[in-house]
Amino acid sequence: MVNLLSMHNNINEPQTSHTSSSRSSESSNPLEAKKWASKILRDCAKAISGNDSSKINHLLWMLNELASPYGDCDQKLASHFLQALFCKAFESGNQCYKTLTSVVERSHSFESSRKVILKFQEVSPWTTFGHVASNGAILEALEGETKLHILDISNTFCTQWPTLLEALATKSDETPHLKLTVVVTLGMARSIMKEIGQRMEKFARLMGVPFEFHVVIGSLRLGELTREELGVQEDEAIAVNCVGALQRISVEERDEVVRMLHALKPKVVTVVEEEADFTSSRNDFVKCFEECLRFYTLYFEMLEECFVPTSNERLMLERECSRSIIRVLACEGGDGVGEESERRERGIQWCEKLKKSFTPVRYSDDVVDDVKALLKRYRAGWSLPPAQAEDTGLYLTWKEEPVVWASAWKP
Amino acid sequence: MLKNMADPEAEVIALSPKTLMATNRFLCEICGKGFQRDQNLQLHRRGHNLPWKLRQRSSKEPKKRVYVCPEKSCVHNHPSRALGDLTGIKKHFCRKHGEKKWKCEKCSKRYAVQSDWKAHSKTCGTREYRCDCGTLFSRRDSFITHRAFCDALAEETARVNAASNISNTMTTGSLNYHLMGTSHGPSMVQHFSSIFKPISSNNETVDQTRSGLSLWRDIQESQGGNPPINNNIQEMHQIGSGGAVTLYSDPFSSCSNPQQSDQMSWVFGSNKLSSPSAGELTSSTSLPIGTTIKDVPSPHLVSAPSLFSTQHQQHQHLSSASMSATALLQKAAQMGATSTDPLFLGSGIGVKSNNNNYVQDGNKYNALFGSNPTSNIVRNNQENSVAADDLSSWNQMQMYHPAKRSRIQKDDRTEGEQTRDFLGVGVQTICPSSMNGWM
Repeated sequence: MVNLLSMHNNINEPQTSHTSSSRSSESSNPLEAKKWASKILRDCAKAISGNDSSKINHLLWMLNELASPYGDCDQKLASHFLQALFCKAFESGNQCYKTLTSVVERSHSFESSRKVILKFQEVSPWTTFGHVASNGAILEALEGETKLHILDISNTFCTQWPTLLEALATKSDETPHLKLTVVVTLGMARSIMKEIGQRMEKFARLMGVPFEFHVVIGSLRLGELTREELGVQEDEAIAVNCVGALQRISVEERDEVVRMLHALKPKVVTVVEEEADFTSSRNDFVKCFEECLRFYTLYFEMLEECFVPTSNERLMLERECSRSIIRVLACEGGDGVGEESERRERGIQWCEKLKKSFTPVRYSDDVVDDVKALLKRYRAGWSLPPAQAEDTGLYLTWKEEPVVWASAWKP
Repeated sequence: MLKNMADPEAEVIALSPKTLMATNRFLCEICGKGFQRDQNLQLHRRGHNLPWKLRQRSSKEPKKRVYVCPEKSCVHNHPSRALGDLTGIKKHFCRKHGEKKWKCEKCSKRYAVQSDWKAHSKTCGTREYRCDCGTLFSRRDSFITHRAFCDALAEETARVNAASNISNTMTTGSLNYHLMGTSHGPSMVQHFSSIFKPISSNNETVDQTRSGLSLWRDIQESQGGNPPINNNIQEMHQIGSGGAVTLYSDPFSSCSNPQQSDQMSWVFGSNKLSSPSAGELTSSTSLPIGTTIKDVPSPHLVSAPSLFSTQHQQHQHLSSASMSATALLQKAAQMGATSTDPLFLGSGIGVKSNNNNYVQDGNKYNALFGSNPTSNIVRNNQENSVAADDLSSWNQMQMYHPAKRSRIQKDDRTEGEQTRDFLGVGVQTICPSSMNGWM
């Protein structure tokens, strides 16, 4: 114990002088074990679930010693999950989440968000995969239409649309008129949407695409949005684009939102979600924890490989994860209507919900080729497995693990 | 190209698809070689010593021919949109309505005309795209996306905004964060008119200086003229953190701004108390668990949670202020910090000082923050009273005084073996160590 304490003065010291505390019932030298973080984190989660106070104490303390948001993957995972575990143990998740959210909202600016998003898209197809697939499906579904209206319910900050605008501009003889309505639910996004809107308008002018831009400060009650509020008109061809959006809807409201989307009479609905299930296990802390750990381990490892080690953008992305993890693991409630959620579901789960109102649309060979070509432009590790007969949509895999799911639907 | 509209005299020719797609219409009678154009055939015929005749561009106005596309659904099917060039209509038909048999390997772009495909393949991937801002891209998609958001593109817009914003500095911050945390429906779209701007550090400085000062006035006014010092310092604390957070756009980086981390680290209980009035926590076995909050000036407790509630007032001030740490301290001094509660003063100042004195008075501590244990862990583990009490007070701190979360520091050497709980272990200095989160 004394050894550990004496090291507190300088966390920059390599922590290899860690000796086993007499109280530690875990492995004697945690740092040397590969993937130590997941073991300790899991044990801590179990201890919390079992209300084992002294064990919780001990493990939280240990994690705190070993964790660092600037270290290697294990240290980062330890650091980010530690916060959630702490909040769970002390039932401070809701407060913590609120604070983190408000801080982030204050600190996010157009410049910082843009930097992070664009850099991420440059080094990893995690987000661009969904963009390419969705744009392809949208363009094909709206082929020949002259008045397009895209309802963008997403967290992409419109980074999906420049390439679509370019495609519209270069494709046909008659460039259709495009109206883009962005439904924003993230608090932080609201303050920068004005800036984004101006950029999009200017870019569309440059591309020669007649363009209109609207923002709807979406209440979280997406299910209650009406055609009027969204500015949907009779003569428009509607496309609904949901990228990373469905997970933000509270679990109880998801069916209602699907129905609402159907009521808009769209020609196509594109859905892109990360492949993880934080929903079905939401009443089982340990199970939910395991899934969270699995998913974020993948994500953190991916970030580590794609970015340079000193990347600030990566740091910001990792910090975003903290909030999400706390939301999923340490916040009470949040499944009721109108509350913001971060409970992801897997593709097949979304399919079940969507099939109640929509039929799946297979991506055309051209779109699939586009996606494949996209992946070729990134570093190795990414692939698009051939779609199985019963599959709906496409899966982006990283090191053989499916990480993002993209699909298209029609009424 | 003369459209038919421009030249109503032009002869409209409608060739069949077969004819259009035929590549070698002009055949040499001697050897049967096919040529796309009559001119080429004539030149070829020279080789056979056959009479040849090159059609010259006649000086007289030739009868203009325009060609329509045979595809009925095409816009060029109509004579008014006919193309004046035979080669043009052939290429158009092939490209638009022909089967795209040729595909680029690298980018999967498809072409119906082989020459188009060849030309593309030569340059695909090799081309570099340069944005107005100077950045080079090897990929077209990332170039386009970048360009759409690039400042170079938006230069004009920004200049216009800056001009209109100078007159709007005071309102900008408030409106930005007025939206936060509430849902206003589509009507909020109206608020977007020219009030928002990209947050740039220049503008911020101007805003914050002004609104920071006004915040002082506002707080004093709202508190009835004589606010407890603690309250203000608490506000200051928040302001400083808020502003700093904006600038550094990073809630968790603390190396550059201790106060920032201090604000954040409250969540994990790592604020330090340098107040001499705080006692040893190790006397926690004597912590009165059931004590209710007594001798605490009520504004503290009221204001703390409100910082994180949906008080717009708070938020708008928070957002637009960015007093530096030094300024905050100066303000604190100006306010005449009467150390009725050095805790609060200390939490602002203590951040910057070194961290070698953290013994707190357990009793007083608890009294300040109240100590109704709500943690399940506390209830269930009575035997580990030290931990339990620590945890309970820990929890209380979180709930009532997020900004004042003290960092309970135990001196191991004097404590013996009472250091089991994690509360006692954080000897880290704020700057590097607050990264560890809640310690």
